[in-house]
Formats: sequence, C-alpha cells, structure tokens
Amino acid sequence: MIKTPAYIHFHQPGMMTSVQDWARYDMVHFGVPYAGVMDRISMTLVNHLLHNPENAAVLEMAHVGPKMIFEMPTRIAFAGAEADIYLNEKPIKLGKVYEIGEDSIVEVKKFRRRQWLYMGVQGGLESEMVGKSRSWYPGVTPRDKVVKGDTITYLYEDRYFPPENSHSKIKANWYKESDIKVFAGPEWDQLPKLLHNRILSKTFTVSEMINRMAYQLEETIENDIPPILTSPVYPGTVQLTPSGNLIVLMRDAQVTGGYPRILQVDIHSLNILAQKRSGEKIKFSIIVDE
Amino acid sequence: MQLKIFRIHKKLIEISWPQEISDSILGEQLLVKDFLWKEYGEGIREIRMGFNTLSLKLKIEITATDCDDILEEITQLPKSVKCHSFKTWGIPVCYDPSFGKDLEKLANLHQLSIEEVIKIHSAGSYTLHFYGFLPGFMYLAGLDSRLHTPRKDLPERLIQTGTVAIGGKQTGIYPMDSPGGWYAIGRSPLQFFSTNNFKEKFPSIGDKIKFQPISVEEYKNMISKPKAGIQLIKS
Repeated sequence: MIKTPAYIHFHQPGMMTSVQDWARYDMVHFGVPYAGVMDRISMTLVNHLLHNPENAAVLEMAHVGPKMIFEMPTRIAFAGAEADIYLNEKPIKLGKVYEIGEDSIVEVKKFRRRQWLYMGVQGGLESEMVGKSRSWYPGVTPRDKVVKGDTITYLYEDRYFPPENSHSKIKANWYKESDIKVFAGPEWDQLPKLLHNRILSKTFTVSEMINRMAYQLEETIENDIPPILTSPVYPGTVQLTPSGNLIVLMRDAQVTGGYPRILQVDIHSLNILAQKRSGEKIKFSIIVDE
Repeated sequence: MQLKIFRIHKKLIEISWPQEISDSILGEQLLVKDFLWKEYGEGIREIRMGFNTLSLKLKIEITATDCDDILEEITQLPKSVKCHSFKTWGIPVCYDPSFGKDLEKLANLHQLSIEEVIKIHSAGSYTLHFYGFLPGFMYLAGLDSRLHTPRKDLPERLIQTGTVAIGGKQTGIYPMDSPGGWYAIGRSPLQFFSTNNFKEKFPSIGDKIKFQPISVEEYKNMISKPKAGIQLIKS
C-alpha cells in the first residue's frame, strides 16, 4: 500500500488548536512536561472508530474551531466537546466516521457543551516527532498551536475502506459526572480534619482560569498549611496555595511545583474534569487504595 | 537516613527526606534512586526528584506493606558507597545592567554595590538538584545567603531567554521566555534547552555549576554563533 503525504490547510486556525497524542514521557528528566490530549477517552474513541493505532496523533480544539481544507481524500471522526461541525457546509456528528473527498472543507464553529474537541484522521496526523511523542508544547516542538495559513501532514492512502455499518454509540453520559475521584496527596495530612471535611463536602466551581496547564477553582479554602520545598507534581495534582486557591494541574503541568499537593485526581476523573467548562460544578470524593 | 514513604495510590509513591536543601540529602537521593532502579527497575516507570523527595511512578501495583518493606530496605543501605563522579560546568554570564535589569534594585536591597553582587554570585559553586519549572530549567542550590531575596510580589510578564536571576534562596537561568518573579541580574548567551543529546551537552543531577562573567562584547560574539549546550570546566 503506497502512502503519500497530504496536507490539511488551515484557513482559520481556531483559538487553541494543536496536535496531541497520548503524552511525552521520555524527556521529563529535563523538565519537559508530559503534554498530550486533555481528554484521553475522546482520543481513544476517534482512533478506535478509524481503526488507527492507539497512540495516533489527533487534532485538539477548544473555544473557537478552525476551518480546514483537506488536500486528498481520507476518513475523519470527531469526539469530545459538542460543537457545530460542518463538512462541505453540511452538519456532521460526533462519533461517526466520514469519508471526505479531495479539497473537502471542514469547519468547526460554535462550541456548545464540554471543553475539548478531537478530530482523528485516518492513520493519524504526521507532525514532528520530538522524543517519543508528537504532542505540541511551547519550546519543545517547533509549533505550539495552529496559526492561520499553517499546514499539517497526514498520509493519503489509495485504498478501499469497507463501509462502517455499526458505529460505537457515543455515550456522552460519563462527562456529566460531577464527582471527581481523588487520592490523598503527600501534604493532605498536614491539613486539619476540619479542612478535610470542608474540602470534601464543598461544591467547587471551575473558574475562568482554565488551560492546558491547570484548572483553577473559584472557591477558596483558608489555610495555614506549611510551605514545601519544590517537589514533583503530575497531571491531576491538586495544589493548595497560601491564599487558599485550589489549582488542579492538567496535561501541560510543569514537572515540579512549590505549592502543597493536597490531592491527586484519579486518572479517569481527570478526563471528566478536563471536559468541564468555566462555571460548571464539581465535588471531590476521596478513594483509598487497598 | 531519615526517610518517610507515602503511597498516593497503588502506582504512585513518594519517599521524602527532612525539609532542607543540602548536598548530603542529594547524595542520599541519588543512592536510593540507583538502588531502586537496580533492584526494582522492571516495576518502575519513572523516578522524579524534588529537593527532598523522590517520586516513583510504578508499572506494578504495590501495597502499604510493600512500601514499609522498601523503606526498611533503603534505610539500611550503606551510606558510604560512592557511585557518582560529578562534573563542573561553566556558564558565561554578562552582568551588564542592560541584561541585569534588577541588578541595581537587588544591590540596594542588600546594601551592596553592583560589583559586590556580581563578585559574590560568580564566586559561588552551585549544585544541580533537578530540572523543573520549564524545559531545561535547573534547580540550583548554593546561593550565598547575602544574596537571598524574596521573590517579587508581582511577577514580570516576560523574562527573556538566557536571563540569570535570583529568587528566594535560589539562582537560576531562564531557558526560554517566561513570566517570572525573580530578580534579573544578567544574561547568558548559551542555549539551555535542546531536544538532541541533552545528556551530553547539559549538566546531570549532582553536577556543579559556576558562573563566569563576560563582557557585552564577548556576549555579542557568542550569541552570534548560537550553540546549544554548556561547557565543561576541567577540574
């Protein structure tokens, strides 16, 4: 099977459009964040629909979507945020494979629900490999977000794809969960029981300060937790600042941090939290590993 | 060794030392790290360091009892084993006020002259504890207490690549443009992050760093032929 490179041309870049795969684990010793998709469930879904390798790179979008033109025929699928998506001006759905022809125009307009939208392309996107990952991150990969006029490569393959009769139904219910499962972090026991109860019974609001690095919560927890020396942090680490802010670190989190680490979000719940928008409510519930 | 072990979940544990920054703790951290890789390497995904912590991401699931066993094993490790030979690296820094924008402010804060600040800063020998904050950012210990300076209340929006700065009890170099709350005292013409051969061109944990003052002219010369990597000082 001959595969030839083809381009996606970006006539409009969107606001936070980037190429992501699972994560870059192999450069963390030099201070390079993992990066990778914010919502792994949706990435897994689009790659599964397209019969792609599990780690095939996908396009991640948020807030304002891009307008793209595909040079050569391929197949695409969307999952994640609910948005108005058009293929050659006809609306298309999440969780479905679309065959697209030469010079097809795909446009993502208004985001309606949830935060991050994913587009998988047959065979995966072919952007630069740095370390063992294609995930874009400022200063590490040549690009960190799509700008107007950019192109991204995919491999065009002249072959017959059998029609997809059964589509795995998107069960979007998992996003609705507001219960975020957490483990106690290294500094959790430095907080008095009273604050444990307060944090675990409170409803928190996702603030407007949300990006690939961290989600800050609106409500504050007054505390006098002792400071720590700079220590390792991971995506999902919940930091409590001296001024009482709770900051949940996300996929682009730095590898170390200086604020007390009170909780660690469970790996599945982190995808749920990632899909919350500003103003949505969450609660933490603690789980204990036997 | 005075150690504690904390299990965040089945696959994430943290070993911690008393809360201080010292070469002896660093030595113990490296000893434990080597031991764990050697003895339990197949079960470990990643070991990450902080000033007084080792964080272990595991491939396998472990119980609280396993943690206690590991702790007992590592507290009994012979301390004397010297397994590392550390290198010394020289970093050229131009302390001209055009780069060291906060040099005067910092000197005034400590009632020192600018020359004294430069002299104290470049006389020091600094230990690399780990990389963090930004790709290629070195957490260095060993700043002379006369230069300890609380971070600015309001972080600057942009600190330029190569800026050498002081914040709290630390000094560091910004490997890329970033916001930051440290006091800028100079700039280095070297590149501090590269995705190729990082291991050969950049210091390893435990290595020493020395800052070597250079003139504006030397700075301009070096920046015109950018080279990623730092030079070893023969010792």
